[in-house]
Amino acid sequence: MEYLRMLGAVVWKDLVVELRTRERFAAMAGFTVLVGILFNYAVDPTVVDPQGIAAGMVWLTVVFGGMLGLGRTFHLEEDEGAFQGVLLSPIPRDALYLGKVVANFVLLVLVTALVFAVFGLFFGLSFGRAPGTLAAVVALGTLGFVAVGTLFSAVSARTTMGETLLPILVFPLLVPVVIYGVTATKSLLAGIPAAEVEGNLRMLAAFALAALAAGAILFRHVVEE
Amino acid sequence: MSRNLRWSALVLGMLGTAGALALHWMVFFWVPTERTMGVVQRIFYIHVPAAWVAFMAFGIVALASVGYLWLKDERLDRAAVSAAEGGMVFTSVVLLTGPLWGKVAWGTWWTWEPRLTLTLLLWFIYLGYFLVRSATENPERGKRFAAVVGIVGALDIPLIHVSVQFFRSLHPPPVVLKPEGPTLDSEMLVTLFVGLGAFTLLFFSFFLFRYGLEYARNQMVRRGTPSEVPGLSGGLS
Repeated sequence: MEYLRMLGAVVWKDLVVELRTRERFAAMAGFTVLVGILFNYAVDPTVVDPQGIAAGMVWLTVVFGGMLGLGRTFHLEEDEGAFQGVLLSPIPRDALYLGKVVANFVLLVLVTALVFAVFGLFFGLSFGRAPGTLAAVVALGTLGFVAVGTLFSAVSARTTMGETLLPILVFPLLVPVVIYGVTATKSLLAGIPAAEVEGNLRMLAAFALAALAAGAILFRHVVEE
Repeated sequence: MSRNLRWSALVLGMLGTAGALALHWMVFFWVPTERTMGVVQRIFYIHVPAAWVAFMAFGIVALASVGYLWLKDERLDRAAVSAAEGGMVFTSVVLLTGPLWGKVAWGTWWTWEPRLTLTLLLWFIYLGYFLVRSATENPERGKRFAAVVGIVGALDIPLIHVSVQFFRSLHPPPVVLKPEGPTLDSEMLVTLFVGLGAFTLLFFSFFLFRYGLEYARNQMVRRGTPSEVPGLSGGLS
């Protein structure tokens, strides 16, 4: 119980800071909408059927846009040694990591919802017959992405290369999320029944769980001095 | 570098080189030509042992990394980085020999075939391992970060394997490790095992040499040698 309260405090702090500054959300939201506009010119919608490539576009936009926000997970606290203060608090390291993951997850889910809404509007997509399953695919995929991204954001923030290192570390690891996320989204957008993507959902859940467990265990080795 | 270490590295290296020379003789003059694929199949005896060593090396990296984070023993970190460098060399061999064969057998240099994709991603995980190691001001921090990359990478490799398999498969199925037993001609099997043995010996020779090198570097850092020594922070130097 005490653990959850501490975890909640981290989530609350991060979300309040984000709500007041809106820095990361604004960057990610602006980025993703602009990518949508650029896609319109990169892929001629009169030649290519947007419905056919929408799943890939949506997921890659979320992954690229998410890099912007995830890369800055620890940015605010890097200034003036604020992170030392966080580390000195009696919060266990894994609760700190999980709190950061939850806050990032909330942020990324909002961004993903925006991407679906905007791309749906721009390219006239229909969201299939199982919006609930689609939401589950998005939620589990995002959770896995955020779990890996948050851990390596802590790593890259402490290197001399900074955020530029993050995609190189994270993209190879994200391949399962992209494969299962895109194939499931593609099937659902095409109106294939939800039961067909159950395997994908299980794999996305397995990835998210493994990533969360690994992150929670390894995070202490990243932040310790 | 201690005398014992150097001698074992040298002996392993000589045995490995002899094995590799024998392997090449066998590949070119001894082993029969495969019926359907023809001469190009002979690259298999280089390709498969290199792949075996590349993945074994990554296993060593992961185990040594877990040990390093747990026990904070410098020797384990040295083992991890030595295995990673050897692993990257053999991963590159796999990625070079694969397309050479693929161009003839599949008619294309590159295809999004699961095992190719997995090996390429493995190469990039190794790249991240070295980048993160050399991109920290504090070498101890770089070692810890590299260990985290090594562990998460090793955990992810099976998931990547399953997912790319799910995506599509075109690679020839296994011919040795399968339930019915090997379907290779006995001479082919012998050649393959000579390759496996030679490459494994070579890998451990590289490993020991690199281990000694890392040790020497650490000694220099400890004695306060100026940081002008090239590549002192470790990494791809």
